[in-house]
Amino acid sequence: MLRLVNFAHGAFYAIGAYVGLIVTQQYGLAAGLIAAPIAVALFAVLFDRVLLRLFYDKEPTAQILVTFGVAIVVEESLRFIFGGTTRPFPLPESLSGSFNLGFASYPTYRLLLALGIIVVVFAVWLFIERTDYGLIVRAGVRDRTMVQLLGGNVKLASTVVFALGAALAGLVGAAASPIYSVDPNTGFSFLVPSFVVVVIGGLGSFWGAVLGGLIVGELGSLTTLFFPAASDVVIYVAMALVLLVRPSGLLGESEIIRG
Amino acid sequence: MKDVRFYALTVAGLVLFPFVIHPIGGYAGLATQILIVSIATMGFNLLLGYAGVLSYGQAMFYGLGAYVALLTVSKFFPEHANFWLALLLSIAFVTIVALAIGTLVVRLYGIYFALLTLAFAQMVFFVVFKWTGLTGGDDGIQGVTAPTVPLGFTSIDLTTPFPAVDLGPFGNLSDLHYWYAFVAIVMVLVIAFFRTLTRSQFGEVLSAIRENEERSTFVGFDISRYKLAAFAIAGALTGLSGALRGLYETSTAPDSLTVDTSGNFVIYAVVGGVQTLFGPLLGTGLIMYLQNVVSAKTDAWRLIEGVLFVAVIVFLPGGILGTLKRKPKRTARAIVASALRTSETP
Repeated sequence: MLRLVNFAHGAFYAIGAYVGLIVTQQYGLAAGLIAAPIAVALFAVLFDRVLLRLFYDKEPTAQILVTFGVAIVVEESLRFIFGGTTRPFPLPESLSGSFNLGFASYPTYRLLLALGIIVVVFAVWLFIERTDYGLIVRAGVRDRTMVQLLGGNVKLASTVVFALGAALAGLVGAAASPIYSVDPNTGFSFLVPSFVVVVIGGLGSFWGAVLGGLIVGELGSLTTLFFPAASDVVIYVAMALVLLVRPSGLLGESEIIRG
Repeated sequence: MKDVRFYALTVAGLVLFPFVIHPIGGYAGLATQILIVSIATMGFNLLLGYAGVLSYGQAMFYGLGAYVALLTVSKFFPEHANFWLALLLSIAFVTIVALAIGTLVVRLYGIYFALLTLAFAQMVFFVVFKWTGLTGGDDGIQGVTAPTVPLGFTSIDLTTPFPAVDLGPFGNLSDLHYWYAFVAIVMVLVIAFFRTLTRSQFGEVLSAIRENEERSTFVGFDISRYKLAAFAIAGALTGLSGALRGLYETSTAPDSLTVDTSGNFVIYAVVGGVQTLFGPLLGTGLIMYLQNVVSAKTDAWRLIEGVLFVAVIVFLPGGILGTLKRKPKRTARAIVASALRTSETP
């Protein structure tokens, strides 16, 4: 998780959205939500084994550049295959209604999505913090050589984490599409706000990302309510303020910035 | 003597360039555009090639340069519309913005630096996009009358073509406007500036920081200040490039501020070769030329560009120029030592 924010994440998200769209049209939403993360994870493993592997020992900028290049290729391939137009992602009847919460009614799908996200977030947290495998991953980020000397398979672990991160991006791509609709630029428009979330919350901090997400979401909706013209700008202003006051983010550890 | 030869060759290359591009499917206007955009790519190269940080937000400086230049002549000072004033205000404004944003980002590394500059570029994009009253929003600024260039005793209209002289396969001299000559002169100045800068103590220290940040800190360099200075200089060059582009096209649109524009500078510089003086020029020229030729035939140009970019990173890690003239590799230690030496001799 910790050092794998990269340009390809936008591409993973977009692939997930398209796979989700196509499988859903054939076999229904449940199948789409299962197929998207699997397909994206496979793509990520392939990308890691074929291309990224060549850049493990090079300087970090080379790795960033190659993920950026792959992001362009993926985005443009999607545009070439599916056309550049925005596609709606239809919801099944049963999920498109509203649900009465007693004090307010809320669209059923968004409610389910919110519950689903809580479950996934908790599962990821359990995996990273509470399993032996997660321990190897966390240790590997801090001191790769030492973990290898102690017999931990860091290479395998980092591929697994990479695929897991990609699968999550793919799942979110498929799951969020009924709300945001699908087009080839989806990837980049998802990447930047999600990075802002991470910066505000604190780089490398799990709960920081959750907190940052809540803050960004709330700020966005509040400004849309009171001063719509600024709604797109406000999250960046918040990010600049956080950086100015607390460069490591609200819940971040400063050393991790030296990626 | 070496300097004289260097500048003679540079000037000769710039004089021949628009005629060479003609028989292979380019046109004179493209030569002017390539030179203008190259200035921004050279600025980007100062960051990636010398300071070793990847800025993914150069479009904000480019776009702002264009907007400020055009607004200067159309809205701020329409009665005294002056070419030099437009350039000066653009560069000054962009430099201030670069210093402000640079202060926030120079402490970050790698992907965080890239994504943070990208995020700030998005912020600038949204501000310009939504501030319809000033910037024209989605439509941008159209149909500005670009002022003539005052030279004291006279003033020149840059859209004047050169006199008609038939050059056979190389086109006609009248295809070229004074714009090309003007931009070529600016380019010579930028090259001279860049060459002096990268050979100075400042350039040596930047290289030292790129190679080994810890060692550079320990020998006493304030790395944040050097990076901030590089960020501001790169911003100023990019702003100059944007201002020239805006005045040349007499229009600009929010496109100039998007992620794609930022990404283009990355592609141009990396394909041509970072850490080289002429790599950014070569990369910008090659890609803009290919784009011009290829997109006339197929709409898959961006896909081809992406594949080409990945291929260059994998097979030619130094870019085209960097691979052609591979210097004997200096160790990080030698570079830091050399930076120290240059800073001790006043």
